[in-house]
Amino acid sequence: MSQDHLAILEALLFASPDPLSVELLHVILGDVEREGIVRSLHSLQEAYEKNGSGLMIVQVAGGFRMSTRPDLHPWLGRLAKTRPTRLSRPALETLAIIAYRQPITKAEVESIRGVLVDGVLKTLMERDLIRVLGRKREVGRPLLYGTTRKFLEYFGFQDITELPSTQEIETLIPPRQDTQDTDETVRAEREDS
Amino acid sequence: MVYQVKLPAFEGPLDLLLHLIRVNEVDIYDIPIARITDEYFQYLALLEQLDLELAGEFLVMAATLVYIKSKTLLPADPSATEEPFEEDPRTPLVDMLLEYQRFRAAAETLSGREDQQRQFFFRSTPLEIPTREGPLEVNLFDLLTAFREVLERAKDQPVLEFLTRPVSTGERMVAILDRVATVEASVTFESLFPPEADRWLVIVTFLALLELLRQGSIRVRQQVDFGDIVVMRAVA
Repeated sequence: MSQDHLAILEALLFASPDPLSVELLHVILGDVEREGIVRSLHSLQEAYEKNGSGLMIVQVAGGFRMSTRPDLHPWLGRLAKTRPTRLSRPALETLAIIAYRQPITKAEVESIRGVLVDGVLKTLMERDLIRVLGRKREVGRPLLYGTTRKFLEYFGFQDITELPSTQEIETLIPPRQDTQDTDETVRAEREDS
Repeated sequence: MVYQVKLPAFEGPLDLLLHLIRVNEVDIYDIPIARITDEYFQYLALLEQLDLELAGEFLVMAATLVYIKSKTLLPADPSATEEPFEEDPRTPLVDMLLEYQRFRAAAETLSGREDQQRQFFFRSTPLEIPTREGPLEVNLFDLLTAFREVLERAKDQPVLEFLTRPVSTGERMVAILDRVATVEASVTFESLFPPEADRWLVIVTFLALLELLRQGSIRVRQQVDFGDIVVMRAVA
């Protein structure tokens, strides 16, 4: 891979506000094979690391993008005048349900959370973290929601399969003692009676 | 003397119930329903005293709890001998709580990732790169002109109507989005209208296209004057 391609890739990553997919880079560079592009991106990544640069190249939402190094965030925080606010707890809960259960209707989200979610859905739509995927084939033809590419970028996922599995989530819930036993005892008692 | 009481904010009745289950150190699979119901009502009374507006969902849950409590108090129906194994009246509630708990944990992990990701800073606006002959943005009239051509073509299709459920705008929107699934994928305006399409499908497809444009989900471009109109996904 010639030096030139590295320079072009670096410039493109610097200029783009969105993650650049290998596909798009292949279209822009024209005669360079996809494997070659991936190799170059990785060698750029290594070069930045080795030189102790303040920048790095990260892989997110199915593409590559240039980012500042995370350990420098205090200084960048001082530079940034406004930053999008953190998501509220209702927003995060709603987003989690949509992410795992998409495509899902508003009513289905509400039945899991036990509260109405109109306001939260609006906020998530405005922040471009969810979108309408279509309509459900049932009475009323309610809208179906799903997550966006921006969602992947925001949380640093490569793709939706990177979401922790429900089993992994399960381990985060503080375990109850003798949970299984009690459950079985209840059943046993009922069978006796 | 003034006391300041800080109450944990609850996201809803399920959140409150999980809190009560935790502070009482009871088993979620074996909820002492009378005790938890009492505490739940105490909490609602407290909220009322504080003049906080109670969301309707809290009252629905109160009714559910009372219903479960009454079910557990009633002796089993002796005449119902065929079905000795009656479902625990608490089971549906427990299932709901467990599911909600899972998603609450999932929200926690998302929150953690959000914190992590906030340490990365990216360019948020494109560099201003001067364009000399960039693609032309297509206006509504260009689209209508192209649409008229497609409609002309559809006119020649013999019309044979069956009473089937007609395709909807929503379905066509989804179909169009599928065609331009990625930012790179783009299709020509023409190709969205298969030659065998009847008038109905053509019109619905066009409406779907306009709706997607209005939402900002897609963009339409024309590389040269009178050239093919290209439909592509808008960059998120």
